Amino acid sequence: MSHKHILYKMTTMIILGVIAITACGPAATPAAEVVEVTRIVEGETITEYVEVTPATLPEAEKPTGKIVLWGWTAAIRDTIEAAGIIEDFNAEYPDIEVEIQYYAPSDVYINLPLALTAGEGAPDVCLVENSHLSEYVHLGGLLDLTDMLQPNLDNIVEYKMFDCEKDGKYYCMPWDGGPVVMYYRRDVFEAAGLPTDPTEVSATIATWDDYLTACQTIKEETGNYCFAHNKANNYSRLYEMVLWQQGLGYYDPDTGEVTVDSAENIATLEMLGQFWEEDLVSDSLEWTDPWYAELAALESPIIATLIEASWMDIFMKSWIAPGTGGKWGVAYMPAYNEGGARASNDGGSVFVIPEQTKNPDAAWAFVEFVLGRDRSVLRMFAISGFIPSLKSSYDDALFLAGDSFFAGQNVNSVYADVNAKIPRAGVYGPNYSMMNGSVSVAIQLYATGEMTAEEALREAAAEIRAGLE
Amino acid sequence: MARGVVVSATNGKRRELWREIVRHRWAYVFISPFYILFLSFGFLPVIFSIYLSFHKWKGLGPMEFVGLKNFTYLFDIGGKAFWQSIQNGIILFFMYVPIMTFLALVLAVILNSKLVRFFQGYRTMIFAPYVTSMIAAGFTFSLMLQQKGGLFNNFLNMLGLPGVPWLEDIWWARVSLCLLVTWGWLGYNMVIMLAGLQTIPRELTDAALIDGASPVQAFFYITIPLLRPVILFSVILSTMGSFGLFNEVQALTGGGPMRATLTTMVHIYNVAFGNFRFGRASAQGYVYFALIFVFTLLQLRYFGREE
Repeated sequence: MSHKHILYKMTTMIILGVIAITACGPAATPAAEVVEVTRIVEGETITEYVEVTPATLPEAEKPTGKIVLWGWTAAIRDTIEAAGIIEDFNAEYPDIEVEIQYYAPSDVYINLPLALTAGEGAPDVCLVENSHLSEYVHLGGLLDLTDMLQPNLDNIVEYKMFDCEKDGKYYCMPWDGGPVVMYYRRDVFEAAGLPTDPTEVSATIATWDDYLTACQTIKEETGNYCFAHNKANNYSRLYEMVLWQQGLGYYDPDTGEVTVDSAENIATLEMLGQFWEEDLVSDSLEWTDPWYAELAALESPIIATLIEASWMDIFMKSWIAPGTGGKWGVAYMPAYNEGGARASNDGGSVFVIPEQTKNPDAAWAFVEFVLGRDRSVLRMFAISGFIPSLKSSYDDALFLAGDSFFAGQNVNSVYADVNAKIPRAGVYGPNYSMMNGSVSVAIQLYATGEMTAEEALREAAAEIRAGLE
Repeated sequence: MARGVVVSATNGKRRELWREIVRHRWAYVFISPFYILFLSFGFLPVIFSIYLSFHKWKGLGPMEFVGLKNFTYLFDIGGKAFWQSIQNGIILFFMYVPIMTFLALVLAVILNSKLVRFFQGYRTMIFAPYVTSMIAAGFTFSLMLQQKGGLFNNFLNMLGLPGVPWLEDIWWARVSLCLLVTWGWLGYNMVIMLAGLQTIPRELTDAALIDGASPVQAFFYITIPLLRPVILFSVILSTMGSFGLFNEVQALTGGGPMRATLTTMVHIYNVAFGNFRFGRASAQGYVYFALIFVFTLLQLRYFGREE
């Protein structure tokens, strides 16, 4: 090789290097802007550089442009739009155009990570369910919102920020929580000779043991099933709720250690197994027609109770069981052990802003307007029952109102109370899909009698541990 | 000096080749879209996967070189779901491919015999499922196969038979998947057979019939042997198809219950886009490729030889 060749190569490498360095320069548009301010102090002109956040910018400097929003219809069309939030937003930010693109949650799970990893194609704002949030936070590609969240941070319910955080930074703005309660049919309880008043129900069914006894009574007296818990296609949502209320999960949130086969986890699964053994639960799979039919039924077979998060409220009223108005009550979920927590979480959602966004100021303006203000979150709560994560909103009169679907019971205060008591647990996390997948198979194997709870969970744990490496 | 002559000769050939290319430039321009698309979306990802299979990568951020770890991972508890999916592919293959291939062949022979009037109409009807969205079909099947209140079980109950746990049992779930796949792919295979049949001279069958063979004998001793390469082609495609089932599984069973219907393609997809283990998924893709390659070779070896 001649010297000339080497020279050529070196020059090319240097040029490429310079391009690479230039391309990796600092990301554009910081959260806060530095503004030059000139004032006269004691006869002298002083020029200062002051940092201002977009929210305090004068009228002329409000963000402008178009933002694209991804989310599912129940949240976007039936809640944000139905509550008139978009119009209000445009009244304050007339120069931001919000383009809504509807994606079902399962479509978000396919398209958002693809767009994040591909480096293009992501929306400016995306609605994400808490179950999968941590996966995307750890994947990367989401905008760090820590500075923007600062003013509101103490006002947000603690547990909503767990999945949002990585290395001390926050990557989401929480919307609704998933406080788990026990919905029950007053008519079935009455027929079974059980109390029907919510306070009495909460007192009578105080633990999962009490619950088992109540379910036996319901079966004997009315012939109805207590709740639905599918065997062969179980996807472990109920199991997760019972783990979560005990502060347990698939892993230890502090050490990251996998706890899928811990003695407590095995005992919890065996406890749920008693309901199968005694044939107290329906085999209908959640979110399929037979399940809807049993929830909407006016005569046997009825599902007498439902342990589920508060967002179920609007689904029941609007399309699953609108004909059962006045027949439902809301009690606290049973504690695992006497005196234990009667609060758990299922699902919930947040907004994230992908780093790819060309217009982070407008995107944040939208997120802040919709989820950072009591007025907006309360209006959406009034429409669809998605419980806000802003503590300041809980003082509103909405939380004192009775609800005719629940025979006049004030259910909102129950939701808010549970939401404030949800313990920290390692259920959702950066590897939720993998853990939920293996554990679901374990539950299916146990439920259908192929394996004991211990064997099944041991195998799942081994698979997960190998998979995490 | 001799060397120089050789060089100039090759140069001459090269120049000639280049001239040829320039002369046919428009032909190359017209066929280029396929090659450009294939290179960027087919060939490059395949090459990149080799590189990926030796790395740990979540789709974003730095890649970590891990040597053969993604491959050795498969030979421990971590590979359980992968081998289960391979096993499922083999089971599904034996469950539906013989039946579907035979049905496709019989239907093709009937439609080819011109005994049926309006055979174009029937051909269209049998082929129609192939052009239907498999997601929509799978969803419809899942509604019809519901244990409580599903159309299939209602029908069985009407006949006084007990309902079947179509999607709630390991074996019935596989049967359900095979029903959907056979329904969806029968027409495609039938058209392949029909095309094959049309290349067989009618005189051969006619001669056999005159010599006293029954139509069934003519079918088994004349049509099937002559159609062997076409049948083999269809069976090989179905083999790859059994392991590669994706839309059908996603729409009908999601791979459950207990991974009984988890196909290799769905599993690899889950590893990559559900668990964000792109290196591991690439390694599994290559092992999968190797296995399919062996299966196909075996089929060619044992069923493809001329007698």
